[in-house]
Amino acid sequence: MNNDVKQNGSETPEQELPKEQAPSLVEKIQQLGQTNVPQLSQDSKIHCLTIVGQIEGHIQLPPQNKTTKYEHLIPQIVAIEQNPKIEGLLVILNTVGGDVEAGLAISEMLGSLSKPTVSLVLGGGHSIGVPIAVSCNYSIIAETATMTIHPIRLTGLVIGVPQTFEYLDKMQERVINFVTQHSNITEELFKELMFAKGNLTRDIGTNVIGRDAVEYGLIDEVGGIGAAMKKLNELIDIKKSENEGLVQ
Amino acid sequence: MILYTTMPQELVFQTDPSEYEKQKIVQYEGIPLLVSMDEGQNCTVLRVMSSDPNHFMNEKCTPGSKITLSSLQN
Repeated sequence: MNNDVKQNGSETPEQELPKEQAPSLVEKIQQLGQTNVPQLSQDSKIHCLTIVGQIEGHIQLPPQNKTTKYEHLIPQIVAIEQNPKIEGLLVILNTVGGDVEAGLAISEMLGSLSKPTVSLVLGGGHSIGVPIAVSCNYSIIAETATMTIHPIRLTGLVIGVPQTFEYLDKMQERVINFVTQHSNITEELFKELMFAKGNLTRDIGTNVIGRDAVEYGLIDEVGGIGAAMKKLNELIDIKKSENEGLVQ
Repeated sequence: MILYTTMPQELVFQTDPSEYEKQKIVQYEGIPLLVSMDEGQNCTVLRVMSSDPNHFMNEKCTPGSKITLSSLQN
């Protein structure tokens, strides 16, 4: 008897449900012409910026060049800062460098982002890629990745040599200041690497490989995507617990 | 030929302006894409410009796939 009652009890709601749903489905179809398909939440809480190829400055490079354009990146960083659903940002670098001002602009945007940021240097993060890599809260370099540190170069017309020199010197100072402020490398060591002779074929400077970058204090850790995601999740948790503390 | 100059290569050998017009940024189902215009309304996806990793999982707009501009306007 009990079993019968239980079976009956469990059967009746099943039979009733389709009856209740049927008219509402029909209504929806008549009203809107289609039913609402349940949407899975597609928003990822971690966004990823890839900085590839050459960092483009004020002159647009020909379309066959792979470029990172600041006019694309900067609005994206603004959107990431504003979107409350995004909790962290992963920056992946494989760049040969490029325009100093555009690179510094991207670095400053990443450095001033209020959300946790982790950078991962894969392949190469040369020249102006260095300040971008160190601008994040935590930086990781792949063991085989390299970063070239060299003085600022200017190709193009040089009119007024002392003034141009002064201008370049100040520009270089900005890069050095940014890197020393955002990483553990000292100004002396960074300048020493920058002006070292005999390492690069046609230039002065140093090519710093994975582990060396960590030893110099430029980058925080040697690792890959797994280490980067782990660190980013850690930073997100720390930030969350800080926010909860503030509410209480 | 060896060209001895301090001028950047892109200033010496300037690209034809029409080359720049081939590439465009469009929105496809809310995903910003860099496309190269083919004949007529067709274009080929070159790069997904979004920072959302989920957008890279959309098979309709992986780099190399063809989309038509009329489907973009919807």
